[in-house]
Amino acid sequence: MHSLIRSYGKPLTSLFVCLTAFWLLVMIALPQAFMIEHSLWHIDRDDQLGMKIDRAYSEMGLVEYDLKAAKTEKVRAEFQTRIDALKAQIAALEAQETEPPKIYGIHNYTKMSELHFTIFLKSIVFALMVTVLALVVCYPMAFTIAKLATPYKAALMMLGLIIPYAINELLRVYAWLMILDYQGVINSALAWLGLVSFEAKTWVPFLENPGSVFVALIYAYVLFMIFPIYNTVETLDKNQLEAAKDLGASTWKTHMRIVIPHAKPGIAVGCIMTFMLSVGSYSVPQIMTRGKSGDWFSQLIYRQFFESQNWNTGAAYSFSLVIVCLAFILIMMKSFKVGIRDIAK
Amino acid sequence: MTKSRSLSDIILNVYIGFFFLYLFAPLLVMSLAAFNAYDYPSVTQWKGWTLKWFGELANDDRILKGIANSIIVALGVIVLSLPLGLAGAFVLTRLEGRYNNLLYALLVSPLLMPGIILGISTLIFWGRFNVPGGLLLTIIAQSSFIASYSMLMFMARLQRQDRVLEEAALDLGASNFMVFRRITIPFLMPTIITAAVIAFLQSIENYNTTVFAIGGDWTLVTEIGSRFRFGLSPVINVIGVIFVIFTVIAASLYVLQKEKERQRKLATA
Repeated sequence: MHSLIRSYGKPLTSLFVCLTAFWLLVMIALPQAFMIEHSLWHIDRDDQLGMKIDRAYSEMGLVEYDLKAAKTEKVRAEFQTRIDALKAQIAALEAQETEPPKIYGIHNYTKMSELHFTIFLKSIVFALMVTVLALVVCYPMAFTIAKLATPYKAALMMLGLIIPYAINELLRVYAWLMILDYQGVINSALAWLGLVSFEAKTWVPFLENPGSVFVALIYAYVLFMIFPIYNTVETLDKNQLEAAKDLGASTWKTHMRIVIPHAKPGIAVGCIMTFMLSVGSYSVPQIMTRGKSGDWFSQLIYRQFFESQNWNTGAAYSFSLVIVCLAFILIMMKSFKVGIRDIAK
Repeated sequence: MTKSRSLSDIILNVYIGFFFLYLFAPLLVMSLAAFNAYDYPSVTQWKGWTLKWFGELANDDRILKGIANSIIVALGVIVLSLPLGLAGAFVLTRLEGRYNNLLYALLVSPLLMPGIILGISTLIFWGRFNVPGGLLLTIIAQSSFIASYSMLMFMARLQRQDRVLEEAALDLGASNFMVFRRITIPFLMPTIITAAVIAFLQSIENYNTTVFAIGGDWTLVTEIGSRFRFGLSPVINVIGVIFVIFTVIAASLYVLQKEKERQRKLATA
């Protein structure tokens, strides 16, 4: 910090510190804290409240009638106290009706219905599957570009990877929708071959299968897996590969013993990014399923905010998602023995 | 690369071929449908070539407004996220001690969090101060993670900075402000430009964060998103074609530039 003051002086240094603090607090930490706080309370709207109030009123009417009919002073006083008690009760109930109390607790987390919890787990499992699939698909590509291709070819392949990525995510996914739709390209090809018929609606319902979301998710986030792996494999000394080959190691063994251990940080980063993007992706399942097959968790969250207007539940669901991502990051960091500095590059 | 055409080489080449087919076939299908006269985006129900969808796009007010909004948001993101990223990079490269790693982890955390979470937390936080969803909130929400990208770029650049220059300037009597303006900023200029371009592209492209923070307003991407529910037409494909054309032009220019640089290097060597 002293070297910063020495180079740029106190006014500029304090400006840097203030900007950093603003970013850290107002744009990262406090919004998270507010989201968590939001997830920890709910407005207690008692459905029976109106009925309870009505009942109290009618009871008071009866007691007032009794009061008029009462003969002795003692009985009258007794009725009077009952009326006062009822009045207080009604006032409390009515206050609760106009301004329902805010109740703190983990209610929003525990009340998750079985269906929603299944979707939560399913989304995690699906995201894990997407991550593994993406790793399997991308590893050979990353290795080829980094080590096998000539520089010219490698540059060309790099360009080939970046061009689809520069096109908007929604449009990339939409392109897959056109291919897999009921009357999409694949089904049309099948129809042309006479295997399915549009009239009889015997097309293959790809969109009702989570596999179609997988395909689009991998397609959408392929670069986040390839680039980190490419970056680490590229730093591997080619001589090591030659040596392994000379010593008679098979391709399989070379990869298992030399390339993959070297590429560990890249693999960890690729998996973290792909998992995080997949589990939190709203756009891909939204477009690919179009409500025809089951929701993903991200879609549930969206509904809580914009369809059922239940921000508290939405916040609780969101924070559950954050926890899942954090857990995944920590597990990957531990099992691949990489630090935070290796992750965000 | 050895010349021997072993079986594994052939398999690998076939694999790479399929991989690029996987990458490009969808784009081809999408682009082709933009020229089909059929009312619903399709390449299999071919009703003849047409350019009418381009005309419809030019008359689509919501899309045009969306493009304008997207550009406003993207410019706002550049203005907000670059100074934040730069400040964070300065503090992190010079901060000693054990808080450095913690601060680093916190400042890059938006990159490791799903986009929808950034949108949601921003929406809830500013909602408490009665700031509703809209373009402003979208700028703030997007900047929270785009600033992390710029910070990482600035840090990479600052690590290669030769501090001797600054020391010399100070010894020769330059003011701190002058050092910053005349030495540091010019040194960072290439990164500032790259970071601005990346911030712009990231902002235009963003959907998952924006959809929560945008409120009743819309950007090009959220408008496209809502069209998937209502009113899917080849106009969307036209937008795709325009994206493809822009990208290919930009990529070719980039390659040409690189090639020129390489030839210049070869000539001087």
